[in-house]
Amino acid sequence: MSLKYLPVDVEKEIYEVEISFKDLSITRKEIEHDIGYSGISAPEHFSGIIDAVLSRAADKCGIRAGYRIIDIQKKEDANHGLLLDGVFFSPDKIIYPQIKKAERAAMFAVTIGREMELWSGELFRRGEILMGYMADAAASSIVENITDLLHDHIRSRMLESEMKITNRYSPGYCNWNVSEQHLLFSLLPKNFCGISLTESSLMLPVKSVSGIIGIGKNVRYSKYNCNRCAVKDCTYRTRRRPGEKAVVLK
Amino acid sequence: MNDASEKIGVCIERGKVNKSSPYPGDMAGQDGADELTVSALEWGVTPDKILSACNIGMQRIGEKFGRNEVFVPELLMSAKAMNAVMTHLKPFFQSGNVKAKGKFVIGTVAGDLHDIGKNLVAMVVEGNGWEVIDLGVDVKPSKFISAVKENSGCIVGLSALLTTTMVNMAKTVSEIKAVYPGTKIIVGGAPLTYDKAVKMGADGYSPDPQGTVEFLNKNLL
Repeated sequence: MSLKYLPVDVEKEIYEVEISFKDLSITRKEIEHDIGYSGISAPEHFSGIIDAVLSRAADKCGIRAGYRIIDIQKKEDANHGLLLDGVFFSPDKIIYPQIKKAERAAMFAVTIGREMELWSGELFRRGEILMGYMADAAASSIVENITDLLHDHIRSRMLESEMKITNRYSPGYCNWNVSEQHLLFSLLPKNFCGISLTESSLMLPVKSVSGIIGIGKNVRYSKYNCNRCAVKDCTYRTRRRPGEKAVVLK
Repeated sequence: MNDASEKIGVCIERGKVNKSSPYPGDMAGQDGADELTVSALEWGVTPDKILSACNIGMQRIGEKFGRNEVFVPELLMSAKAMNAVMTHLKPFFQSGNVKAKGKFVIGTVAGDLHDIGKNLVAMVVEGNGWEVIDLGVDVKPSKFISAVKENSGCIVGLSALLTTTMVNMAKTVSEIKAVYPGTKIIVGGAPLTYDKAVKMGADGYSPDPQGTVEFLNKNLL
């Protein structure tokens, strides 16, 4: 799918991408999978509630997505570090080997805005806890689905200049300290895509994703090496698509 | 009489809230926790007995959750059924005829706004007969300390989703312990492990609501 993108700052190669809800491929089955029903059917009642949530989600998602392409100035094997526009990142030993062959990086951010989050909270307060939970789960699946689209968009753009891309990695995952979220956003315009950070590195709106994608002639996209990570209940462990298995490192 | 309370326990375990609830499909049209509690009280079943049956139902669903046989939605339906029972039992708690097992103060630590995991634990703990004092999200150590002061003998539960807020969790544990060294504290949340919990000085760690209930029941005063 070809997405329209608009420059925010041409010199700094900062872009926003236009994504609408109808561009998404989010399905009830995907949400069921994300909340645990992987390879088994969710009870019919729950499926009905997910359908009801999805039927209202389009009106409640204020989708924004964007990225900045930056040259990697320096790599430090010893520190598993990357220098980008004067900012030093330490994405640790799980991510660094995937990025170290990259010549450039895309720092990205995606959000669906606050409405889904507020709606979910309101449902919980009204005692409609199941629907509140499903709204929250759907919001998480939706924002990941948008990030998938952005990832594909960046892949397509880079292919035009015969560059490949890596997986995406986010602060707080794969042992990358979430406090580096502040460093990541320091490379983006203030309030980029309407996202701000709390002192504890939480993105607001909460249903947002940020991260880095490596770009280069010699990088590759690989399956997530979940077995190298100690976080057993990570989103990306549970989000593996049916049939997709985590790579077991020998 | 036993049959009535057992049926309520089954409704809790299966998440059957009331007669009009379509869930679970195989119990559609049957009385739920709501109607059965009203009937049981009319027949003279004691609130204690009803509560005990509920606890068994909650324990069963909690164990299934721990074994990945059911997921959060099933647990939520059980909590909702439990809530329907509690609506009818509340007057007995208020009059002192029924006593909660103890008090559990819970909150998401300062800097963290995530509350679904915390809410789930609160609902399951309440369903197991504990009085829950939910302080909400982004709770500063001083607020936990005030709550411990106001709820003598309570056990404290701290939740965090972010690795950065684990620092605040450790600070909260340390500040509570400095003022109330005897207060038991259990911690939970995605970035935590047993080792991290021990390191920060907590008395317990649980990755799921049922583990929290087991910790609380072991630490009954």
